[in-house]
Order: sequence, then C-alpha cells, then structure tokens
Amino acid sequence: MASTSYARPSSSQLPPSVFNPRRHVNVQPERVSDVSNTEYPGHYPDEDHSWDLQKFKQTLNVEVKRLSQRSIEFDLVGVDASIANAFRRILIAEVPTIAIEYVYMWNNTSVIQDEVLAHRLGLVPLNLNPALFDFRDASGVPTDRNTLVFRLNVACELDKSTPKGAPKQYIHDQVTSGDLEWVPQGEQETAFGDRIPGPTNPNIVLAKMRPGQEIELELHAVKGVGKEHAKWSPVATASYRTHPLILLNPSMPVPPHLAQKFAKCFSPGVVQVSADGEVSIDEHNLRKESMSREVLRHKEFEGCVELKRIRDWFIFTVESEGPYAPEALFPESVRVMREKIANIRRAAEALLADADGGGGVGADGDVEMAGV
Amino acid sequence: MAEATPKIKILKGAEPDLSAATYQIHDESHTIGNALRWMLMKNPKVEFCGYSVPHPSENHIHIRIQMYDNLSSLTALLTALSDLDDLCVTIDDAYKTSFQKDEFERWDEKS
Amino acid sequence: MNSQQPGPSSFNNPATGGGYPPAPRQEMEYLCADCGAKNEIRSREPIRCRECGHRIMYKKRTKRMVQFEAR
Repeated sequence: MASTSYARPSSSQLPPSVFNPRRHVNVQPERVSDVSNTEYPGHYPDEDHSWDLQKFKQTLNVEVKRLSQRSIEFDLVGVDASIANAFRRILIAEVPTIAIEYVYMWNNTSVIQDEVLAHRLGLVPLNLNPALFDFRDASGVPTDRNTLVFRLNVACELDKSTPKGAPKQYIHDQVTSGDLEWVPQGEQETAFGDRIPGPTNPNIVLAKMRPGQEIELELHAVKGVGKEHAKWSPVATASYRTHPLILLNPSMPVPPHLAQKFAKCFSPGVVQVSADGEVSIDEHNLRKESMSREVLRHKEFEGCVELKRIRDWFIFTVESEGPYAPEALFPESVRVMREKIANIRRAAEALLADADGGGGVGADGDVEMAGV
Repeated sequence: MAEATPKIKILKGAEPDLSAATYQIHDESHTIGNALRWMLMKNPKVEFCGYSVPHPSENHIHIRIQMYDNLSSLTALLTALSDLDDLCVTIDDAYKTSFQKDEFERWDEKS
Repeated sequence: MNSQQPGPSSFNNPATGGGYPPAPRQEMEYLCADCGAKNEIRSREPIRCRECGHRIMYKKRTKRMVQFEAR
C-alpha cells in the first residue's frame, strides 16, 4: 500500500526527523507494513549507511522519563531493534543475582510438601549485591565467596495467653521470608556486617502451620542468571514499545460534529478537541496511545488519519525485583553485553592469530576446520 | 569434562581465505546473534551476513559472513565486535548523562 | 526437572550433614492423626490413641536430612 505520509504539523514540538517516513512502521487495520529497517550500505543508491560512530553519537538519544522505587521508564532513540532487543533480553536472562539454590531439609511437618517449599524458597529475592560474589565453578565447591547460608527453624504453638472463649491464637502460624536467618561463613561477617543479607521483602508467606508442626532447614544461596532459572532474573519485567505517531491529514480534517467520537478512538489525553471542534494531537501524551486501531474501524474517519510507530524509538519499562535499584539495571545490562563482546573478541583474536601464524593453515592455505 | 568447547569455531565449507565462512559461537543466543548480524551488515565490505540458532537445545549460534573482494570475514567479525562495543559505551554514557540531568518524573509506586 | 536427591551429595555437603548410623532397633512411634500424641502400636492390640481414642495413626517423618534443589 502506498504511503501518503503527511508533513509535520507547523505547531509540532517533536523533532522534524520524527516525521521522516523512513522511520515509520505503518499500522493498518489488519496488518503492519514497513516493519524492518532498511538502512544498510548498498540499499539506497548514493546513500552510505555504513557504521559511523560519530553519526551514531549525534542521532542517539537516551532520556530517562519516569522513576519510582521499583521501576523506571526511559526512551532509547536511534538504535536498531536488534540492539534494543539485546539489552531487553540481557535484563531478563543474563544480569546475575543471588538466589537460594540448595535446600537441606531436616524436618518439615507442615502441610506444604518438601519440594514445593524448596521451590518457594528459591523464588525469594535476596538483597545481596551480586558483584561481591563469584559464580560457583564446575567443581561446585562452596566457599564464602560463592555461597551464603541461611537457616529456617520455626515451630508453631498455641498462644496460651489468649483469654478463655476468645478465638484460638497461634504463634508462628505463618512462616515468612523474614524468618530466614543468615549464618555468616568465613569472612562474610566482616564483609556484610553493616548490611545483613536477607530477603528484600520480609513479608513473603512461605508456609502456614498449626500447633505441633515445624520446619527445620538449611539453605544455600548462590549466584546465577535468569536463563538458568527465572528465580535469578533481576526484573519482574523488562519490555519496550515503539513510540506511537498519529498523523492527521490536513486536507481531510475530522468533521467538527464527530470530533468527540474521534477523540474517543484513542487513549485518554492523546487527542484534544478545541471549542470549535477542531482536533489536534497532544504530543506530550502521544506516548500513551495504546494503538488500538479503533479509529480505523469507522468509515467516517477514512482518510483522516494515519497510524504509525517510530521504528527506532524504544520506550523501555524496567521493573526491578531484587537487589538492583531500577536505574542501575540498564547500565548493568550494558556491562554484561560488553563482557559478552569481549569474550567473543578474545576467541576471535585467537582464531586470527592461529590462521596468521600458520598454525591452523596448511600448505594449501587451508584453515583447520571443524566437522559439523 | 573431556574437553572444553571452543568459544568460536569455523564450520566446514569455509573459503580457504575466509572470504566466506560460517562461525559457530558457543554459549550465545539471539542476544548477540542478531546484534552482531546487524553490525556486520552495516559494513559495506560485507556481501552477506545472516545468523541462526540451529537447534534450541544446542547452546550455540551460527553466523554466516560473505565478503566482497576476497576480504577476510574474520577481520570483519572483529571490526563488528569492536564497533558493537563502541555502541555500548555510547549508549551507556548517554543513559548516565540523562540520568544525572535529573529531568525525569519521580513517583511513588506502592508495592 | 526432578532435582530431588536423597541425602547430601559429595560436594554439596552441609556442615552438619553426613552419614547416619543405622538407628538402633526400637519400638516404632506413631502420631495420632487427631491429637498428635505419641503412640506405640503392638501386635494383637487395637490401634487406638491412648489420649483421645482416635483410630488413625501417622508414621513419623524420617530423621534423615533430604536435599532439594530450589527449582
């Protein structure tokens, strides 16, 4: 479908490049088009598009928009989806945290099954800075640098101080994450003395008990990443959306008597209606548009409007659940990404040295190749 | 463990001068695969670049690189890796600059 | 993933874990399902709680440590 993309409205506060049709993903009633970026060398005659760090620095724009105690929203503008997606994937699966991995059960007479209790314990987020710990190596030997020990010893009793006739009261009928007791090992006492390791939230219910039931466990927490098990994921969610764009057709304005109906087709606050029934886009609220495509269902609005998304404008939402402050998560994902790159680079350089040094290259210039 | 899997190996069928080769990268996924593919495609000397995850239960990816003018695909790979690192540094700096500007909305989220 | 392993493994041995000598043969204790009192069951005697008269008994949980992976 030929795109008719309308020019930038004279009143717009958005940068002119936002209205560049090449940046737009076209959202149609039942399909999307122009989804992929095409700016590669050789794609457009007389245009370069090869990697240029200086140009990238000019077009890149990162803006933190909202921050709370547990989440952050920021814009990442001017990168390809493959880059934005790499950071999103790393946030979920490759930023390390500490979580309970081994549960040694001496007693559990509560109604919750041993393996279910162990699973619940694993999911408790701990307040430890993972940078202070090593991953357990292949040998699996626990040391004070890679393992934290907790104990959970609770027994439920009837509260004898309850007056006669009053409903029964119990002591320790709810086992919560706050009952986890840290047992310092080796140098841990001096290293963490001021900030006692434990759950980030002491009110997570782990089990419920009745008098006579008890739980006695030892727990070992280790460092890991979310791709191994979701309990090591530092985020509740890390996601992005691309920025919505609503283009009004200047040569086909919305009829004033339908202006309110038109505005209702969009998320609240996105479309404004003036006193004389003229519609306009509130650019500050534009990001809130849900892209429901409701407006495209009505015949009377046909040709009035085009819905777009800006392909390289990513609105990230990251919700922290664990030891990291929400604003510290993204830099951490960049750190992990650079670590991965450095790793591959080292291996590739070794491969190059091998090929150059003649180690792997035979007389006929053949490179040592691995069978598939 | 008998022997450690190499991080990168060149698969059978590569050109002797490495002007076209498929690299197998161990312990990597779409995360690096797609980003690296994009950066390689930004290189005008690269004729073709594609990546795949051959099987979900095998912990590696394949990256195919074909070069113009019999240039080395290994050099192109190294260039792409350092460009990708520059990109990361730039993004990190931009994020930290924006955060220090402190021009964002702070709100109270109930947990 | 079934990550259940009876007893401590060779390298994940907690400080207090380790081998247990076979318990000396003694009268088996059971717990009343109703009141929780300890009971012994002897042959030719009715199975009945000496505290409350309830006729259902539970076997006690093992004293051995059981290791789990928290997954």
